[in-house]
Amino acid sequence: MKVPYSWLRTFFEPADVPGGAAPGNAAPFPEPRRLAELLDGLGLAVESVTEVPGAPEGTIVVDVRSVTPISGSDHLARTVVFDGSAEHVVVCGDQNIAVGMRTALVLPGTYLPAVDLTVLAREIRGVPSGGMLASAKELGLFEHGAGVLALGPDAPLGAKLVELWPAETVLELELTPNRADAFSLLGVARDVGAKLGLGVRHPAAGLALADPARDDGLTLDVHDPAAAPRFTLRKVSGVTVRPSPVWLQRRIAAVGLRPRNNVVDATNLITFELGQPNHAYDATVFERGHMVVRRARVGERLTLLNDEELALDPADLLITTTGPAGDVPLGLAGVMGGAYGGVEASTTELVLEAALFDPVTVRRAGQRHKVITDARTRFERGVDPNLQELASARLAQVIGEVAGGRPHPGITAFGADVRRAAVPYRPSRVRFLMDFDVPSDSQRAYLTALGCEVEERASDDWLVAPPSWRYDLALEEDVVEEVARVHGYEHIGMTEPDMRFVPPAGDPTHRRLRDRLAAAGLQETMTYVFTGAAELAKAAAPAPVVELASPQGTEKAVLRTALYPGLLAAAAANRAAGALALFEVGHVFGDVEEERVALLMRGDRVEGRWREGLAGDFFTLKGVIESLAGLEGALVETNPAAFAHLHPGVSAEVSWDGAVVGSAGRLHPAVAAAFELPEVYVAELRLPLGGKRVAFKEIVRQPYAERDLAVVVPVSVTYAALAAALREAAGEKLASLEPFDEYRGARLPLGSRSLALRFRFRDATRALTDAEVDALMENVIQAVRSAGYDIRA
Amino acid sequence: MAAEHETTGLQGAQRDPGAREDLPGEAVDWLRRIGEALDLAALQQLRVNYLGKKGELTQRLKALGSLSVEERRVVGGRVNALKQALEAAIDERKAALERVLLAAQLAGERVDVTLPGTRPPQGGLHLLTLVTNRLLDVFTSLGYEVVTGPELETDHYNFASLNFPPDHPARDTQDTFWTTDGRLLRTHTSPMQVRYMETHEPPFKVVVPGKVFRNEAVDVTHEAQFHQLEALVVGERVTMADLKGAINEMAQALIGPGTRTRLQPTYFPFVEPGAEFAIWWTNPRSGREEWLELGGCGMVHPRVFEAVGYEGVTGFAFGFGIERLALVPYAIPDIRYFYQGDLRVLEQFRGTL
Repeated sequence: MKVPYSWLRTFFEPADVPGGAAPGNAAPFPEPRRLAELLDGLGLAVESVTEVPGAPEGTIVVDVRSVTPISGSDHLARTVVFDGSAEHVVVCGDQNIAVGMRTALVLPGTYLPAVDLTVLAREIRGVPSGGMLASAKELGLFEHGAGVLALGPDAPLGAKLVELWPAETVLELELTPNRADAFSLLGVARDVGAKLGLGVRHPAAGLALADPARDDGLTLDVHDPAAAPRFTLRKVSGVTVRPSPVWLQRRIAAVGLRPRNNVVDATNLITFELGQPNHAYDATVFERGHMVVRRARVGERLTLLNDEELALDPADLLITTTGPAGDVPLGLAGVMGGAYGGVEASTTELVLEAALFDPVTVRRAGQRHKVITDARTRFERGVDPNLQELASARLAQVIGEVAGGRPHPGITAFGADVRRAAVPYRPSRVRFLMDFDVPSDSQRAYLTALGCEVEERASDDWLVAPPSWRYDLALEEDVVEEVARVHGYEHIGMTEPDMRFVPPAGDPTHRRLRDRLAAAGLQETMTYVFTGAAELAKAAAPAPVVELASPQGTEKAVLRTALYPGLLAAAAANRAAGALALFEVGHVFGDVEEERVALLMRGDRVEGRWREGLAGDFFTLKGVIESLAGLEGALVETNPAAFAHLHPGVSAEVSWDGAVVGSAGRLHPAVAAAFELPEVYVAELRLPLGGKRVAFKEIVRQPYAERDLAVVVPVSVTYAALAAALREAAGEKLASLEPFDEYRGARLPLGSRSLALRFRFRDATRALTDAEVDALMENVIQAVRSAGYDIRA
Repeated sequence: MAAEHETTGLQGAQRDPGAREDLPGEAVDWLRRIGEALDLAALQQLRVNYLGKKGELTQRLKALGSLSVEERRVVGGRVNALKQALEAAIDERKAALERVLLAAQLAGERVDVTLPGTRPPQGGLHLLTLVTNRLLDVFTSLGYEVVTGPELETDHYNFASLNFPPDHPARDTQDTFWTTDGRLLRTHTSPMQVRYMETHEPPFKVVVPGKVFRNEAVDVTHEAQFHQLEALVVGERVTMADLKGAINEMAQALIGPGTRTRLQPTYFPFVEPGAEFAIWWTNPRSGREEWLELGGCGMVHPRVFEAVGYEGVTGFAFGFGIERLALVPYAIPDIRYFYQGDLRVLEQFRGTL
């Protein structure tokens, strides 16, 4: 919310002096920068402090005396203006310009920074133009470029515009959703007043409220009191709709709105001044005088002020009037008024609305129709439920002042004031929670300044009744925060919690795994958890299970079901790199969410450069996994198994200490081709990959006895299956069995291969004799033969 | 080169035969031959010839038996002296020949040490992991437990149990990725506050690192996916000063001793009182001293304690984005670099942080 400095300062003056503070006022009010620091310290965060320049020098107030079209031009007119003492002739192209209009003349030689233009005296179509009639946008006052600036009769002829419209400092606040009350100048002023110990002048202080007992001819029917707990209507007669006085236009422009006319500007003024959204209707729409607040009917439509037509939902709350043509919706309650029934240039009779609407009803309607307005922002956070009659009186007063209206002494009102539950409060809780002391007197002063009523039942037993506008004060802690933030968070000290807590050991972020993979030569990457169904299909990954309701594009519409597709995309992005080894640790979202690690390797495992390196293949990938297992004291096994994304001949299921944890293999050439990748190896394993603590085993000092044997087996028989059979045959004295050569070739029967195996035998207590080892090997050879395999000489 | 070594090696063996004038003339010849032996095999042959079982000197020692005691003493003494002289000469020559051989071997094994090494592949951790590790080191050294939780969450854990009322604008501050089945990607790491408290009893100090998600427009400083670190400390009486102390200790550890921290009031539904915190530091990018707004914090809201059934305790929580702590010090211009998997970016972050 934008807070114009000069306007905020008027809350600390004896009276509202339109246009800013009277010089020499005694109030010690901080300068804008200091004010911004104070607001930050109060929790009303200042996003920016902007110096907004005033009107350009060399611009004076004039009346339009005559407008004569220039022959040969379809839009230019020779316009004579009068500055109170002299006439000026300018050429003007504004179609709306009319005799009697008060506006501003930019004198020749004046520079207009907003449009980077220096106005010069020159001749246009044979007519000498002594300056320019400029729009508000050209003058840099507010964003409105259609038509010249329209001033009210309050602007004295011949006055320098910059003296009426000087520079302003605007503080833009980034308000948190709890501080509904701070969406008004009054609310901001209350906080500042509490902090500085300054009294705040309520703009409506002392105003007489209208009398509900007086008949004003209006009738009101609120069908849903829960959605509209308060509703007021006030008649104002005899208004003249015209441009607002400069002070009002300045305030409206400074909060970021466009001045329109005195009535609309007055309604907006009240929204920002008091935080009470409101509306002015042309009274002629109440032809039968009856207003109904009700939910929308199925199929009902409403055209908004901004000409957008809404198809209403039965949950929408409407303001309607009954007319000859039946029901007419006048607006979407708390969100925006309708195109029908608004104030026109010809309007003379008004009906003013100030109401309270249920935050959720307003919020849902706003969300449903995607409309954000100043009214919605305030209602969905919570408007002071006791403010409506006062705000209505203030609005009537301002309209009387700027549009000459006569408010009706009566008011048509629905609903009654509420009182917030008092909060039992112990002043000692400030010390308990904040660890600093605030004297009771100061606490009382802060709370009272914020509008609370404080009843002291005992020195540490208070009842604090929050004001109606503070929706956020319900618990003792809320009150502590009020005291603490006004006192200042800079008083918070620095201590250490007094507790005994020994954290359990663990590695939930898989730091050891990441470190080991990095040490093994893999680079960690991070990719997005969201992906597209097409991207997953392209990688032959499982189909998506979790879909986003409102994604940022189809390629980010589902949650990943595997990590490796992200690594494939990364590999594709790094096509220029030679060898590549990547890993990612992350969550995947199938039927359950689980954590995984994925590995990707491409190209040489070790680049030789000027000498022989080590080519990468399935076994170098598996070696990395085996190293991880070795470091954890776990046993890893890979067995042939089919995975859609893997090469059917180089595709394995990975077991970690006997449990299947994932897959490893060569990327299927079809998938590789889809990503325009060469031969790539990928693995994906479920986490955690735990280890086990093993008991110490005394070292064996006996030597090994080694025997080698080459076995010819069909290629369908895996090494793992063969080794398992031979281990069993060799018996418990077999200390290790390792393959040391694989041969496939013409010298072997078709469909078979030779595996050369090294057996190492050992006994823990004594050296084995050759004869013993030979006997054990004989068992092995028997097992080979009985399985139908050959021994290769 | 090799010849030079040989010459040098042999110089020590060039003895003046005249120094042993008491030796028989033939012995002088023997010593000369030993000194001139060309290789270890030739030297061994000479040893056999002179000192072997049938060698010339051995024969003479055998012949001593035919001499008188007096002659035997004199001649025997001479022969023994000669034997020692021959042995010494042989050892000396052997050492010299071995030196030559070693020199030749070493010369042959010379490599060009200026050629590049054969490197095992070089990996590394993602910058965000490095920054997270650094933070976790700080907090584990302060006695915090590290826990992690799910990224796909429910409304209950992400909002309702954290005192976000349904249909409240507070939810607008967390643009949420909802799933079609009514779940959501967590918008902060705070759901783990509730999950942890549901399964543990105070007192405790925990930190939660992890990915979080916001459905907002992506640009150089905003990502739909980023990382947070959350801290939660609950005990019998934990205060706002404890909170500031913890933030300050983190700042000291990250930025350096004497780092200042600032708390300013703000609103998060799950803390009361609430604050945002900033660290006073020198921005490495601009060289200017300024406040670095890091994150939100406060005292755990009584309704959050209610949701998990805690009574009679207080606690603090704070959380902040990790990307910020990686982007700013490294002057990384675009947050999207973190998730593009470009090695030219990833490989730059090596060594100590």
